[in-house]
Amino acid sequence: MSVMTTDIHEQTAVPQPKQHGKPGGFLRHTNIFTGVVTGLVLAIITFAIGSKIVPWGNQNVDFDQVGFQALIGITYIAWVIGFMAGIGAFAGPIRWVLGHDLTHADAEYMAGKGQGRFKYWKYTTDHKVVGIQYLIMTLVLFGLGGFLAMLIRTELGITWAEVFTPNFYNSIIGTHGIVMIIAMIIVVAGPLGNFIMPIMIGARDMAFPRLNALSFWLLFAAVPPLVSNLLLGGIRDGWTVYEPLGSQSPVGMIGYQICIIVFAFSTGIASVNLITTAFTMRARGMSWNRVPIFVIGIISAAIMGLVWFPMFQYSQILALSDRMLATSFFNPLMGGSVWLYENLFWLLGHPEVYVVVIPGTAALIELMTVFLRKPLFSYKMAIAGFAGITGISAIVWVHHMYMTGWAPSAGYPFMLSTELISIPFGFLVLVMLGTMWRGKPWTRLPMMCVYAVIWNKIIGVITGVYLSDVPVDQYMHGSMFVVAHFHYMLMGAGLFAAIGAISYWFPKMTGRMLNERIASIGFWVAFFAFQLTFMSMFVAGLQGMPRRVLQFDNAFNISNWLSTIGAYCIGIGMVIFLFAIITSWRNGKPAPANPWGAKTLEWQTSTPVPLENFPVLPVVTSDPYGYGVPDPYDAVEKKMSEADQPVGAGAR
Amino acid sequence: MSLTNAPETEQPEEPTNRPAPSYRIREWLSRPYARHFLVLFIIFTVVIMPSAWLVLHFMNQSGAPASAIMSEIEKTIFVFTFVSAPLMAMALAILLYSLLGRDWGGKVHGEEPPMQESPAIRTNGTAVILWITATSLLAGFLVIWGMMELATITANSYGSTAPNQQPKDVKPIDINVTGAQWVWNFQYPDQRGIQSDTLVVPVDTPLYFNVTSVDVIHSFWVVELGIKIDANPGAVTNTGVTPNKLGTFNIRCAELCGMHHAYMQTKIQVVSQAEFENWVRVMGGEKTS
Amino acid sequence: MTHNVDERPALVAKGSGATRFIGTLITVAIAIIVVGGSAWLIHLNEPQPATKVAQAAGTMKTPQGDLPHYTLDLSVYPNANTADCAGGPTLGETIPGPVSGIGQVFAQKCPPFWWDSTSLELPAHSAITITVHQYDGSTPVNSDYFADVHGTIDGKASYNGEAKTGIKPADVAHTFTIHQYPQAGQPYFFVSVPMRAVPSNAKPESGSNYPKAEVIEFTFITGDPGSYIWNCEDPCGNAYQGFGGVMMQRGWMAGTVEVV
Repeated sequence: MSVMTTDIHEQTAVPQPKQHGKPGGFLRHTNIFTGVVTGLVLAIITFAIGSKIVPWGNQNVDFDQVGFQALIGITYIAWVIGFMAGIGAFAGPIRWVLGHDLTHADAEYMAGKGQGRFKYWKYTTDHKVVGIQYLIMTLVLFGLGGFLAMLIRTELGITWAEVFTPNFYNSIIGTHGIVMIIAMIIVVAGPLGNFIMPIMIGARDMAFPRLNALSFWLLFAAVPPLVSNLLLGGIRDGWTVYEPLGSQSPVGMIGYQICIIVFAFSTGIASVNLITTAFTMRARGMSWNRVPIFVIGIISAAIMGLVWFPMFQYSQILALSDRMLATSFFNPLMGGSVWLYENLFWLLGHPEVYVVVIPGTAALIELMTVFLRKPLFSYKMAIAGFAGITGISAIVWVHHMYMTGWAPSAGYPFMLSTELISIPFGFLVLVMLGTMWRGKPWTRLPMMCVYAVIWNKIIGVITGVYLSDVPVDQYMHGSMFVVAHFHYMLMGAGLFAAIGAISYWFPKMTGRMLNERIASIGFWVAFFAFQLTFMSMFVAGLQGMPRRVLQFDNAFNISNWLSTIGAYCIGIGMVIFLFAIITSWRNGKPAPANPWGAKTLEWQTSTPVPLENFPVLPVVTSDPYGYGVPDPYDAVEKKMSEADQPVGAGAR
Repeated sequence: MSLTNAPETEQPEEPTNRPAPSYRIREWLSRPYARHFLVLFIIFTVVIMPSAWLVLHFMNQSGAPASAIMSEIEKTIFVFTFVSAPLMAMALAILLYSLLGRDWGGKVHGEEPPMQESPAIRTNGTAVILWITATSLLAGFLVIWGMMELATITANSYGSTAPNQQPKDVKPIDINVTGAQWVWNFQYPDQRGIQSDTLVVPVDTPLYFNVTSVDVIHSFWVVELGIKIDANPGAVTNTGVTPNKLGTFNIRCAELCGMHHAYMQTKIQVVSQAEFENWVRVMGGEKTS
Repeated sequence: MTHNVDERPALVAKGSGATRFIGTLITVAIAIIVVGGSAWLIHLNEPQPATKVAQAAGTMKTPQGDLPHYTLDLSVYPNANTADCAGGPTLGETIPGPVSGIGQVFAQKCPPFWWDSTSLELPAHSAITITVHQYDGSTPVNSDYFADVHGTIDGKASYNGEAKTGIKPADVAHTFTIHQYPQAGQPYFFVSVPMRAVPSNAKPESGSNYPKAEVIEFTFITGDPGSYIWNCEDPCGNAYQGFGGVMMQRGWMAGTVEVV
């Protein structure tokens, strides 16, 4: 247990640099509105000046094409730069150039001291504020992605007519995919990695607070270009935006590419921040044996994101260059290679699914101990599991490319590596099941999420076993079977785990108890509807329905009707859950400091969490899993092994 | 040495009185939850296994399997379901037992954290070793089976024989498959280069496809015959199959290729040798001898 | 335990159960309205041209016996009548270009298009003769397959009166290619006829901005009722391989065929 005193902490006097102006300086005047206005103004000015330079109205079809693409691309970049300038991101570098160091008062202002609610609208460095900002952003992105999913299922459910034209349909499936992927990447590592993890390791903030704010606002800047694609003709491609099909899309595709390029910077910065915080800012006494497993999960996901996201970023930079500069990285007629794009994409694409699933799994493993009042089963196996997945995830990406004909012999080694990665994944399942073994569950919503997620993982893993086998993939690749499989893993095991994690830490983050009656109704409606939706989708895939099609054979009608009904019910369930979150946040019962009786450090500080997290930094003397009573069967074992028995005798 | 149950007052020099493993197993089985868990485990394993037939039922609804490759794929799915069933069943059994069982003390409801705590089991060497062994064996089996199957169905094998066992005198029918946006067209170079928008092929004859695209990436998927290969611009990829069932089956595009991707579909008709020769003649070609 | 035990933490928020139930219902209802309303609005704003029905023209002798005969007239123009584009309407006619709507923004500049509609309705079990007036220049096809005539009644189409089985790939301006809806219950249907380009040195006719049209006529037989789609297979669009822009646009270079 940690040891804390109630002494008031006296700050020793540190020589401060000269205070230039009021604390906070330029950041006193910037917030999200100044950011948006500056971004829009700079974008409009750039477009106006650019359209004079780039003659996009003339008859020369080739230059018209490239020139206009370049113009739109530069306009988006101007939006990003303008927004970051308007939110105050450049204040730091400019201050450094001018030689003004941050004083303590500046740092406190930037951390949001004394600003009340307004700190959430500004470039605030306090990790708790950034965590809440990420939570809101995640909810908005899920709302948008979910809305698009409802449109997709409407089209697929109305089998006797076309609701949308094929182009619009192709655009919304692509936009749904990328919005959901972005939302899933940040859903646990963003709100919880930022808000909870530093408190959990006994730190006052993250290692790089200003980079923390930067990573959030870069994400915020990246989203409007992505969403605007629907107004500019759409991306007309799946979320993977394979080239060369992507280069046939209208200019909306540039929004996608700019979004990913900026989002990759945001992710890289956030990953560096998370890893450095976990490695260097743990409380005294928190050796690696005593680190909560949630932190390990966050580190694994951050490492994978940091190493592999640049691959995705490069694939989009090169595709953008093909568009704006008429290069031919991916144009086979001019010497490029379509396989180059696929490789770059899937080099991230595979580790990314682990970036999505690992933090949620780690959070569930963490909270299981609290709700079962049992220590974590085999902490070392959990570490081995996370480490194994992080390492092996680097060498499995070609299993997304079995059918490309790129390297037929590559099927063998990548089948091997794909099966190998199931072993560390199995360690995590062992830890979850072992913790559950002989435990009495406290049936609150976070614990019930664990059961839901394990069920979804079972289905996801067995269908993943099918897909990992090249001969079977020869039938199933590109069919709805794949779509159902990854929804089971990313949504069933990823999103539902995130719901569990958010409902677990909701009291600490918002200071209120979540209304579990409504939240549970929403959750279970969504869970059972999820089974209906995606089991029917497995059937459609087995029957031979390809993916990304809006019209299909009559044989698949029933599967699609059932999937659509299920999807609508998922939507209703999620809306109910969202309603529970919003109403509980606004006027839920105020939460005590430790409603769950948990032993990790974040529950040992008060709610709402003070600015400096802990009045006195804790000293840790054991791991946070000191639950449970001695096993009664252990006494039997002990007696058995201590008692006299003639060698070779039978049972007593 | 005495035979009393009292703890030893002096340390034995060697651990000669450790209970035999069989005793430990029997002791574990004597615990009520262990027996109930095993029963649940066996029931779930038995229940999960027939889902393999259900999977195959849906796959075969449009006439599959129509080739040895498809039969191999179905066999693989069948076997994988059976070997994966025990581990899946174990997870399911623990899940359900935790939710509904009584031997572990049942569930705790309510708003207060529970007072009674569970046994503080931090690890169990036996369980860990068993689990690692089982998962590794399963993974190893899946890999080896998968690699053997892959060798069997590779492009030059046209079906269920490995390439080095192909009869030497069987010449496959070469077909050039071109994917354009959004139409498949086929060319038979050995039949005087006749072109068609549907595939007509004779039964029990190996086919060898040279697949390419003139624009974006498509994917040539002959659904009921179980073959698929991407059609890439700027490259030729290959696959092969021997159809062994008469009938009309579907060819679909399995990679999003633009506006009419959903409509990029055509038919493959597997007919008798005589009908095939007749068709070739009608289309303007000649059968190669 | 370190949590507060002085007060039973309640799981329910302020407000009565009925208020929350109604609040939940209203939220769900709003969500349904937003989704349904958006789908409906988008559907209405994705215009496709008005359906063009084939005209009756007696009966025709075909290899399948005497069938009712219907005709349809279409034209292909090189570009829309906007101020920026060369060419314009014939005297007395306005050809503003096809409809616009969602997804129409930033389509190709000065695009070719089929007129007067791309949503065609044809009767079942009939012989259909389509006459196309083609005014555009050539773009070589990506695949020579589309330079040949497929699926017509005698494997030929008539080009300015001359019956041919195909034209040179370099002379193709557009194609008319009908192909399959993925519906097992419909008969398989595939018709592809290349449209020949006007000669490269053709001059505009007097009183018009377009040269003398190439007239292509072809006949095919429809089977059972069904839904099909058609598109141009000549890379007359922009972007990679000429299949971007208008090639992906209903109302311009792609459309639907209903056999009723």
